[in-house]
Amino acid sequence: MKTKLIGATLACAGLLTACGGSDSGASDGPVTVTVMTWESTQTNAVIKKALAEFKDDNIKVELLDTPSGQYGDKLSSLTQAKKLPDLFWCGNDTEQQYTQQGLLVDWSSKLKDSSDFGADKFVPSAIANWTTADGQMGGLPSLMNTYGVWYNADAFTAAGVTIPKAGWTWDDMYGAAAKLTGKNGAKYGLVADQLTGPDGPFTMSMYSVSAGGAPFTDDVNHPTKAEADAKYTEGVQKLTDAVKSGSVAPPGYDASNAQSLFAAGKVPMMFGGQWLAAGFQVDKPKVKYGFVPFPQVTTPATLYDSVGICTPQYTKNQDSTFKVLQYLNTKVWDAVLPESPVAPPAYTPAQASYFDALTKAEQTTVVDTVKADLAAEKTVGVRFTTQWAQQVGDLTTAEYQPIISGKKPITNLPAYVEKINGLIKSGG
Amino acid sequence: MTTLQTERRPRRLIGTTAWYVTALFVAAVMIVPLLWMITIGLKSGSAVFEIPPRLLPREWTWSNFIDGPKAIHFPRLLLNSTIITALSVLGGVMTAMMTGYALARLRFPGRKVWFYLFVGSMLLPGVVGLIPLFQLYKSIGWYDTWLPLIVPAFLGGNPLFIFLARQYFLAIPYSIDEAAKIDGAGHLRIFTQVMLPLTRPAWITMAILAFQASWNDYLNPLVYLYSSGKWPLSVGMAAFISPFAGKTPDWSYYMATNLLYMLPPLVLFFVAQRYFIQGLGSLGSTTQK
Amino acid sequence: MNRSSRPLQRGNGPGRGKGLSRGAGSDTVAAYLFIAPAIIGFTVFVGYPLIRSFYLALTKYNGLADPVFVGLGNFRRLFGGDPAFWPALRATGYLVVLYVPLSLILGLALAMFCNQRFRGVRIVRTLAYLPVVLPAVATITLWKFILNPEVGLLNTVLDRLGLPTSLWLQSPSMSMPSVVLMMLWGVGGTMIIFLAALQSVPTELYEAAKVDGAGPWSAFIRITLPTISPIILLQVILQTTAALQTFNQPKILTNGGPGFSTNVLMLSIYNNGFPNLGRIPQLGYASAQVWVLFIVIIAVIALAAKFTSLWTYSDNTPD
Repeated sequence: MKTKLIGATLACAGLLTACGGSDSGASDGPVTVTVMTWESTQTNAVIKKALAEFKDDNIKVELLDTPSGQYGDKLSSLTQAKKLPDLFWCGNDTEQQYTQQGLLVDWSSKLKDSSDFGADKFVPSAIANWTTADGQMGGLPSLMNTYGVWYNADAFTAAGVTIPKAGWTWDDMYGAAAKLTGKNGAKYGLVADQLTGPDGPFTMSMYSVSAGGAPFTDDVNHPTKAEADAKYTEGVQKLTDAVKSGSVAPPGYDASNAQSLFAAGKVPMMFGGQWLAAGFQVDKPKVKYGFVPFPQVTTPATLYDSVGICTPQYTKNQDSTFKVLQYLNTKVWDAVLPESPVAPPAYTPAQASYFDALTKAEQTTVVDTVKADLAAEKTVGVRFTTQWAQQVGDLTTAEYQPIISGKKPITNLPAYVEKINGLIKSGG
Repeated sequence: MTTLQTERRPRRLIGTTAWYVTALFVAAVMIVPLLWMITIGLKSGSAVFEIPPRLLPREWTWSNFIDGPKAIHFPRLLLNSTIITALSVLGGVMTAMMTGYALARLRFPGRKVWFYLFVGSMLLPGVVGLIPLFQLYKSIGWYDTWLPLIVPAFLGGNPLFIFLARQYFLAIPYSIDEAAKIDGAGHLRIFTQVMLPLTRPAWITMAILAFQASWNDYLNPLVYLYSSGKWPLSVGMAAFISPFAGKTPDWSYYMATNLLYMLPPLVLFFVAQRYFIQGLGSLGSTTQK
Repeated sequence: MNRSSRPLQRGNGPGRGKGLSRGAGSDTVAAYLFIAPAIIGFTVFVGYPLIRSFYLALTKYNGLADPVFVGLGNFRRLFGGDPAFWPALRATGYLVVLYVPLSLILGLALAMFCNQRFRGVRIVRTLAYLPVVLPAVATITLWKFILNPEVGLLNTVLDRLGLPTSLWLQSPSMSMPSVVLMMLWGVGGTMIIFLAALQSVPTELYEAAKVDGAGPWSAFIRITLPTISPIILLQVILQTTAALQTFNQPKILTNGGPGFSTNVLMLSIYNNGFPNLGRIPQLGYASAQVWVLFIVIIAVIALAAKFTSLWTYSDNTPD
């Protein structure tokens, strides 16, 4: 065992260059299709098992061993080195930006040709978001990310606050946060990274859209303008007040431990994705918890995006890769989701296994909320997916977050929006 | 200071007490974080987030010391770190000694120019090279290999070592070379058989500094390596706690593994403490020459 | 320069002035063979990147397509439009101003503390140096958790002692002081250099001062400080250039936040050149930032050299 390990490391890891995973070698052997995910070790093990069921004499599927964390750094390096695996997990932003750079294989025609794996079998908004301005699809959406509010039911009961349910209002949420703050070791009543972090301005659209106003931007993929109307400004004002009162964690709060603190009962309410359910299933928080849709003003509005799987344009065998991609999207989830219910698949026929698994685990609030989110008519994008998105992030840090933390007056909001409009016009 | 001895007795007692109180404080500041790290390593994942935090674990979870390292393939990363470090120590010390020898003891045109260029490059921020070298390594196929971490060491990659080596060589009497030359020895023989044994403290010190630099290096492997199988421990350890896709860092695993990661430099430190202190200290005293 | 004006200028090793071996012809070949690796290394790892990065600073370059020359466009964006640049400069400056003096004062104080004859002084010295020995990533991550406001060691201890606690890394005003606090844990490195310097101060000087009736304080001002001033200067330069290039601590502790409060220049360069989450890198822009940093470092060194004699390390062997 040990000698084998040392031998393999020396041969593969170190001084030799030719050790790529996608080295297909001889021409007559089966084609190797490499897959890379950002999932946890446990989820990867299940995926690996499911991929072993993929039967095709000419195709060998190999799941690359990726460690937890630093997927982002790794993706950047692989892109620079032009060594991306045949199939890799990617976000909507990555897909949009890389497609515009001509880095990814366009699957749109393949989708058109297929009847049982056509665009109509996917969640429509996912397909819309994954299509670039010129009609290309640099990858296929795989899983939907829906968001909502996780709450600690025990803390609500103890503080005598009504447990939130769909249709609650923003005022209800801030009111509850104020009452929960400082109780039982909770520093803040609400941790809402999505509102106070770099994506905050986009999340805030939920408020204005729900109140009948305009979203922060008309389209996160192909924006023509950004705006902050009266309703939007009202939403910002309410958040600013709540942060000032100390009941909502301010910008800069390190949310990376929020999930553990929530499970330990020290964060009574937090914004988060449905994927936390899978983690809670393993960690088993000591508290009774639930998941509720975002609050509203008059009509429900929510936030979601989808992640997917992309293929570099220099992949060796597009047809084989597409076969594996199709298998991943249609079959693999049925094996993975019952063990680790991370997210509802974007391919709708595969969604049943996700909801079944959650129902079996008695996570009914998660089932209800995810279903409500997916059915919501009013949705907003999570963040810009454009090339100059990072510059928007810098502007947000410089101009928007100080407003939330009360360092700059809310009257600065139009100036911030104007600067973003400037970026939209100049294209970065 | 030495003046203390002349003070009156009560004052001396106060001085002594004050010294020991301060010493205790300094020692506590340095050692308590490390002890605390061990207690976190012994807690279960959820006990870490109890509020108010307990200083000692309620249940001692020894399995963290097995499961934590397993989560990042510790043995493989340890082997990687060992190979990278060993080679760059060898290269760094060897070339620095060679260069220092030539600069200090041989007479040749351009000696001063090269000396100033080498020492001057000590002041060049490493980041200047980051982007061009990244592109260079990419184009010559060194990217995602250990070569960018090792080869520079063999090419005088650490100008500080060149400087230290030269400083040390200057202090050796020239009559030794003359004697060896009369015996018919060439430069290679003088260097390997006369100079290397004489300069043992210098190269041990350098080897220790090189070990530290390589074992601790984070930015370079982070940029130049993407295959997790080739990572050294520094990158693997950092990957442990970088949050991604809603995963919370597992602090108890991390702290348990961290102890193992710290162990090699720690052992080396206690074995060769004298040279560690000398290493940086030599900067302080060579200036006086 | 100005070599003879410094006190305590001793000879440069035995045999100074007449020692270098003769027979220049064979020496030249041998010498160049000996320094060949270093010359190659200098050309490839110093010379080439310097020129190349200067060129890249004048281009728009994403590493995927060929660089496009844009003249001073990157610098215009840096000084004109980028909302992140001035905060990055400010954060870098703040770090230097906070860290360098504190590190020197604490390092010198600790060195003087450890330069006394008490039983157990060796243990204190060893423990003070211990954090320097430990891997940076290990200690920084440890401190990230120590500084956690909810479950970290520091707030726990302060709370038990009835002292006020802080949000540390998560508060925009305390984040940089917290980073510096963590860096100061490694003050043992500074201490060791000062300790060696203190030990090389001749004791006769102190004895002479004592005869003159000087107290410990005036002995420190009149003897210790002037004698070790070359090392203090060296430390100022080393620490400043190192502090200007601080990367590991903010990268691991805060990743630049909250806001821009710890987004130092090095981190900004890294994030532009090697961005996360599948964003397209801006290598040309990052190179322009590198050059700003480089010029700042050169300026600091030049400034230090102007005020004092930097040439302690000059090559004073005869030709």
